[in-house]
Amino acid sequence: MDINEKLRILSAAAKYDVSCSSSGGTRQNTEGGIGNSFKSGLCHSFSSDGRCISLLKILLTNYCSYDCAYCINRISNDVERAAFTPEEAADLTINFYRRNYIEGLFLSSAVFKNPNYTMELLIRTVRILREDYRFNGYIHLKAIPGADEKLIHTAGLYADRISVNIELPSRESLKLLAPQKNQDSIFNPMKLIKNSIINNKKDLVLYKSTPKFVPAGQSTQLIIGATPDSDLSIMNMAENLYESYKLKRVYYSAYVPVSNSPKLNGILRAPLIREHRLYQADWLLRFYGFKAKELLDENNPNLNISMDPKADWAIRNIEKFPLEINKASLKSLIRVPGIGLKSAERIIQARTVSGIDYDDLKKLGVVMKRAKYFITCNGKWRGEFSFREALLKDRLSLGFQENMYQQISFF
Amino acid sequence: MKCFTYDGSFSGLLTCVYEAYYIEMPDKIEKALIYKPNFIYQEEHIETDMDKYRKVYMALKEKVSEHSLKNIYYVYLSEAKDCDTLILKYIKLAFKLGPRTDLYHNNEIVMSIRQLREKVSKEALRMLEFIRFKNINNLYYSSIEPDHYVLPIITNHFKTRLPDQNFIIHDLKRNEAAIYNKKEWMIIPFTREEGEKLINKSDQVFYEKLWRNYFKSISINERKNEKLQKNHMPQRYWKHMTEMME
Repeated sequence: MDINEKLRILSAAAKYDVSCSSSGGTRQNTEGGIGNSFKSGLCHSFSSDGRCISLLKILLTNYCSYDCAYCINRISNDVERAAFTPEEAADLTINFYRRNYIEGLFLSSAVFKNPNYTMELLIRTVRILREDYRFNGYIHLKAIPGADEKLIHTAGLYADRISVNIELPSRESLKLLAPQKNQDSIFNPMKLIKNSIINNKKDLVLYKSTPKFVPAGQSTQLIIGATPDSDLSIMNMAENLYESYKLKRVYYSAYVPVSNSPKLNGILRAPLIREHRLYQADWLLRFYGFKAKELLDENNPNLNISMDPKADWAIRNIEKFPLEINKASLKSLIRVPGIGLKSAERIIQARTVSGIDYDDLKKLGVVMKRAKYFITCNGKWRGEFSFREALLKDRLSLGFQENMYQQISFF
Repeated sequence: MKCFTYDGSFSGLLTCVYEAYYIEMPDKIEKALIYKPNFIYQEEHIETDMDKYRKVYMALKEKVSEHSLKNIYYVYLSEAKDCDTLILKYIKLAFKLGPRTDLYHNNEIVMSIRQLREKVSKEALRMLEFIRFKNINNLYYSSIEPDHYVLPIITNHFKTRLPDQNFIIHDLKRNEAAIYNKKEWMIIPFTREEGEKLINKSDQVFYEKLWRNYFKSISINERKNEKLQKNHMPQRYWKHMTEMME
């Protein structure tokens, strides 16, 4: 088969994997080598769906022996199949990299023959890149669920990041839609990777020559909207993954119907706005010091679609506001809607040299449209109307109601 | 009113700053190439003097901060309208406020400087992302037309990353190119015609075709969102990007 055909089939088969980030890498170029990491990652292009293209994202093969209902590559699905040889995949990576098309490779695969065989093929590809081409660019590898621990460990010595996709947020959903996978086959490798990263850090202190193990950490992906799991259970799971498994990123992917499996019959495309809100909430967990239980609870199990999660939280905790800009701590400043990490830091910096006036706030990058209801500056409040929950809700919502939930379209 | 003009180099600009303190504080500084004589300003051309440049440079570094010095350099690279005068105002302020200058986020001048610096950094980052090399007999050539003069701050990235390949990054807008010969790089004058001559020799389109192919198939049609695409990747950069060419 022509290499163009293979690339078309195997990139289309990989596109539902959301992650394309190349951040967190620390790899430097070596003598006679090619490539390095860029700490915050680089997005080399943006496809017509608006998503970043940072890595060459392909499956090594989409010949699969599993039958997961949500997946386009399941054995029972009638799609074109193809396979790259490890040499072909490595050659493509290097030639794209030299032209500055990509930051590196994101290599995944369908389960070809069995998990161990597949994992070995992935390892062979990255070994060619790292050892034959002396490639120091970014490599993200997928750990194949069910593959031997030793293989995953070996892979981790070549890759910058490894991910194991959780796919579905609960045991029940997984059982229904991915009968050959189980939660243990997903969480065991995650545990293994976490522990190896920790041990590797200890070894690095003791022996300078220790090869780094997954220096950019691990990530995972959840499909949302294919099963009835609530945002609360999704956020709880994400929080647990960040805290106990030390994950770098959890990705959320609004379900796109790619199959006509009877188990998924009648399930529509999940609204993209839900995915967007989950990402916003995820950001609040990772950078803004929020806990999942602050954002959601049993009575309130799903994120508000009409308002961003921070504004929603602020309105429900109205007694904490308004906040005095000239006195508040960094921790409480970043909880104000309309104030981000950067503008909060600028406020703190500017306060060390002079007082802040109301009119200064815009210059500091505060989004006054949202922030004005929640702050005072030198005691001044310019929220325009009286400080009441219902009025605030009205002002801050996107202008559509709950019953429009299914109609929202971005196109 | 007084206007200093200079040769357009960074050392020329800082020489103007030196003379501003020792001769007379001008109301405006402008690159000689851009300056048009008029009734309002009385022009005084300042010759670039490396000693004076160094004195100002060191004074900024020691009495203000490296951060501020970098701000000044980036704003100079912005080539924005009146950026030279803005730099003079900023330096006057910085010598008064000292190392803490950049904490005055609420100061109009500090804010303008920060915003211009961010613009330049952002475009430099975009160039690291959007530059596309064509392989022409193992010479890697790329053309760009950035808003700001980013060539001096982006080339090193490619040198460390791709040390074993000869490359040219050609700024068509400014008729200059950064060239690298596997050892060191420098910026030289380079015309559009010279660039076109090179491209005509190019015949290695195999990987370019593959890349376009990949670019198409990686997109999820059910999620089409061209507005978002344009937000992240402004259309003015497209004509030099392999995947956006026909």
